[in-house]
Amino acid sequence: MDINLIQTQIEADLINVNSLQALEELRIKYLGRRGLIAELTGSIPKLAVEERGSFGKEVNALKNRLLNLLNDKEKSLAGDSLKPGNVDIDIGMPGIAPVLGTAHPITRVIDEICSIFSHMGFCVLEGPEVETEHNNFTGLNIPLEHPSRDAFDTFYLKNYPDLLLRSHTSPVQVRTMKKHKPPLAIVVPGRVYRPDAVDASHLFMFHQIEGFLVDENVRFSDLKGVLSSFLKSVFSSDIKMRFRPHFFPFTEPSAEVDISCLICKGKGCSACGRKGWLEILGAGMIHPNVFKQVNYDTRKYTGFAFGMGIERIAMLKYGINDIRLFFENDLRFLKQF
Amino acid sequence: MNIKISPKELAEKLTMAGLEVVSLEEAGRDFVFEIEITSNRPDWLSILGVAREIGAVTGEKLKIPAFKEPKIKAEELKPVKISILNKKDCSFYSARVICEVRVGPSPLWLKERLELLGCRSVNNIVDITNYILFELGHPLHAFDLDLLAGKEIVVRRAKAGEKMVTLDNQPRLLGNDILIIADKDKPQAIAGIIGGKDAEVTAKTRNILLESAVFNPVLIRRARQKLGMQTESAYRFERGVNLETAKVASLAAQELICKLAFGKPCGYKSSTLPKSSGALINLEPEYVNRILGTNIPALKIKKILSGLGFDSKIRSKNRLVVKVPGFRQDVSLPIDLVEEVARIYGYTEIAQTLPAIKLNASIGGKKDIVSYIKNVLIGLGLHEAITYSLVDRDLLAKSGIKQGVQPVEILNPLSKEQEVLRPTLLPSLIRCLTYNLDQQQEYVNIFEIADVFSGGADVAQHPALSDRPVRASAQGRLHESLSLSIALCGRRSFLTGQGLIKDEVTVLHLKGILESLFNKLGIKDYDFRDQGDRGIGIFVSQQEAGIMLNLNKKVLDAFDIKNKQVILAEIDLEKIYSFISLGRQFSDLPRYPAITRDISFVVKAGISIKDLLAAITAKGQPLLRLVEVVDYYQGKQIPEGCKGLTVSCVYRADDRTLTEEEISLLHNSICSLLEERFSIKLR
Repeated sequence: MDINLIQTQIEADLINVNSLQALEELRIKYLGRRGLIAELTGSIPKLAVEERGSFGKEVNALKNRLLNLLNDKEKSLAGDSLKPGNVDIDIGMPGIAPVLGTAHPITRVIDEICSIFSHMGFCVLEGPEVETEHNNFTGLNIPLEHPSRDAFDTFYLKNYPDLLLRSHTSPVQVRTMKKHKPPLAIVVPGRVYRPDAVDASHLFMFHQIEGFLVDENVRFSDLKGVLSSFLKSVFSSDIKMRFRPHFFPFTEPSAEVDISCLICKGKGCSACGRKGWLEILGAGMIHPNVFKQVNYDTRKYTGFAFGMGIERIAMLKYGINDIRLFFENDLRFLKQF
Repeated sequence: MNIKISPKELAEKLTMAGLEVVSLEEAGRDFVFEIEITSNRPDWLSILGVAREIGAVTGEKLKIPAFKEPKIKAEELKPVKISILNKKDCSFYSARVICEVRVGPSPLWLKERLELLGCRSVNNIVDITNYILFELGHPLHAFDLDLLAGKEIVVRRAKAGEKMVTLDNQPRLLGNDILIIADKDKPQAIAGIIGGKDAEVTAKTRNILLESAVFNPVLIRRARQKLGMQTESAYRFERGVNLETAKVASLAAQELICKLAFGKPCGYKSSTLPKSSGALINLEPEYVNRILGTNIPALKIKKILSGLGFDSKIRSKNRLVVKVPGFRQDVSLPIDLVEEVARIYGYTEIAQTLPAIKLNASIGGKKDIVSYIKNVLIGLGLHEAITYSLVDRDLLAKSGIKQGVQPVEILNPLSKEQEVLRPTLLPSLIRCLTYNLDQQQEYVNIFEIADVFSGGADVAQHPALSDRPVRASAQGRLHESLSLSIALCGRRSFLTGQGLIKDEVTVLHLKGILESLFNKLGIKDYDFRDQGDRGIGIFVSQQEAGIMLNLNKKVLDAFDIKNKQVILAEIDLEKIYSFISLGRQFSDLPRYPAITRDISFVVKAGISIKDLLAAITAKGQPLLRLVEVVDYYQGKQIPEGCKGLTVSCVYRADDRTLTEEEISLLHNSICSLLEERFSIKLR
């Protein structure tokens, strides 16, 4: 038998081996007790004496080469077997892991908004939900008996004549400015309350985020820049933003800020009432009367403030069509977030 | 005014100038603009005011007709008497006498216009007063002069108990806080709000008295709130009307009445006029541009203001003196003019810039730590709920959770659900849990972090809460603090390598969650102590910071929860803040191996495992590094009234590898101790 032919054959066989089991079969075929090598060794006594020595050496060399080849192949196969495909398990079976809980969608949106403003250098603060009439109204340039108060229907507390449930997060402006001097860059998330009959878009409790920046040389154009960056960040970089003049007692000039409708991209659809725009927040330059209440020098300091409803943003972001879902806390709802 | 742009373009321009056009509808040859008018701009509550704005945004010239005071022959003059009891209530009152009017239906054009404005046609006289209200923004009222006793007008407060029937046929009980227009004897109108039935203009009316006045806005507001009504007239008075328009409106109405109802002017009388004060404001263009971040030249500013009716003079290079017209009572400060300039210049034209925000690390709230707590709980599989802070009293009673404090009540709830501010989160979570059980959820595991409120004299001010409102009042104090509540119920099921496991939650599950939370928060000194009926107290640094409960049957029945345990916890976060420490101190990794030995034993049910573990820990010092219960079982092999436990002991020394012999000696002594002191039986 031609020893070189055996070598070629085994190399060809090895190429087709792709499992340890097939390799073992190949090893038995060549190196087993009745394998080819054994056969060759067994044929030695039949040879002429002078041929025996050199043939024996060649067979031995072949055996060593085969062993090396098989070893190499085994190593490479062993490495391959770490692939999950080679493990004896059905990967279609469910994975096993502890089950995670979920943050409420309102918390998710608050966290996202606070994080965007934190990156810009704003601090996050809270304030109490029970507030004084002064912080909620008078300190914000909202006169006691004026129609501008009609926009802020308010819950009052029995037995506590000057206390109420804050109807917006703006009182934290007054609270913070009383305590600290500029520069101030603050955002305030929190619950607010307004007596309202409950329906798909109204609740007596909801969440707002208030933001304000007070320093020397803060300009209306800065407000536009900050809100534009924020809105692109929270919605999408291709939305358009527009500032519309509006009236809030605590800011002047004041603006309502719209974004291009997320659904129709500004063409006009039922979601935006065919306008192409969605009203998203209120903003403006802090009114000098607000600064006067906290003894800030109105010649030196200017500032802007803005406020937005969290539920509205969450509804737009997640496509939720009924505001009551947020407070029903149906696990089938919560688990989607 | 000649408007050259389409109604749609006009609507867009108005919206972008601050008069938001909510809807635009074609109505025959006309277009109806529905505009949302902000409360600071009563002058926009009229066709004239909107037209003035259109002039400013389009540059078109506004042509305002002039009205002349007619000459009245002396023999035709009919005298009336006006007395105003308090000038503060009514700063201007004028009465025009128009005789021999023919009351009848209005011409079609007038009817149509009023209809488009959403106003019902009554008769020509009433229609004309309404028309002028919409055209010029000033409310007027016409009385049947012959029905006014003594042909006299008295502007006074109503007397207590005084009554009248108003034009809407409603009997009204008046009072001293309501300003009325009376004749010699009795009320004939509620000033600025609605006329009275007695002197109503009807088909029989021949002579009228036309009122045009300026009333105190706050008084009108209070009165209409008290009477629970809103009228077009009151809406304008409480926002503020002005003297000049009051005079023009009266003349304009007279002219129309003469034209359409063939009346004859027979006299005009007004209260002494207060001096009209055209306020002057100094405006620096530099100020305008500094606030807006723009570079608008002084001349452009002057032009914008003049388009809005503000005359101004450039006094020096950096100062404008601006005269405020009478119809702009909302303008008194330079910042008011900045807004006017910005509106007409266009918010869109103002660039977007980014401010240099100076960092202020000294200001910070609790959000970071609260978020951290939330994340730990979410990692432990809990779902965050947000429930209303206002609840109904019944829910509190139904939950049977004793708080020992008075709930804070809402003065003006709209419904039962808004009656009280909750003193605890637990009732809301029980309700939320019940709701989810009703939705066929097998396992409910929720938490909420929110403020709770309590009142009553015994509420103490917590030292950590100087910033929070704890306020004294006649009735007591009020406390607001952040609370964490967790509610668990049902069977949680999860896959393991051996298949599905279903596990009914117990107080121990909740204890485990709280332990994990405390460990993550770096709170070391915590403890759970049985407080009898009150539940299990959660102690942090030896102070009770919260409570764990297993709802009793009465409450479960009240919520209609069947065959399930409800496990609850509530922690006053204010009581644990000062013990939270997210800092860590690294200890060297052990250099020598540890030896673990387990003890499996049976122990009587009444024995405290806490004491048992403490005894092991004390005995095992200093080599015993950790002792924990790793398994427990009750079942066939365990005698009645006992439980089987496996406790794992980890021994290790810092300076050498421990030998089997020394550990066996120590471990055996621990086992003996347990046998002696706790009567355990080794298994």
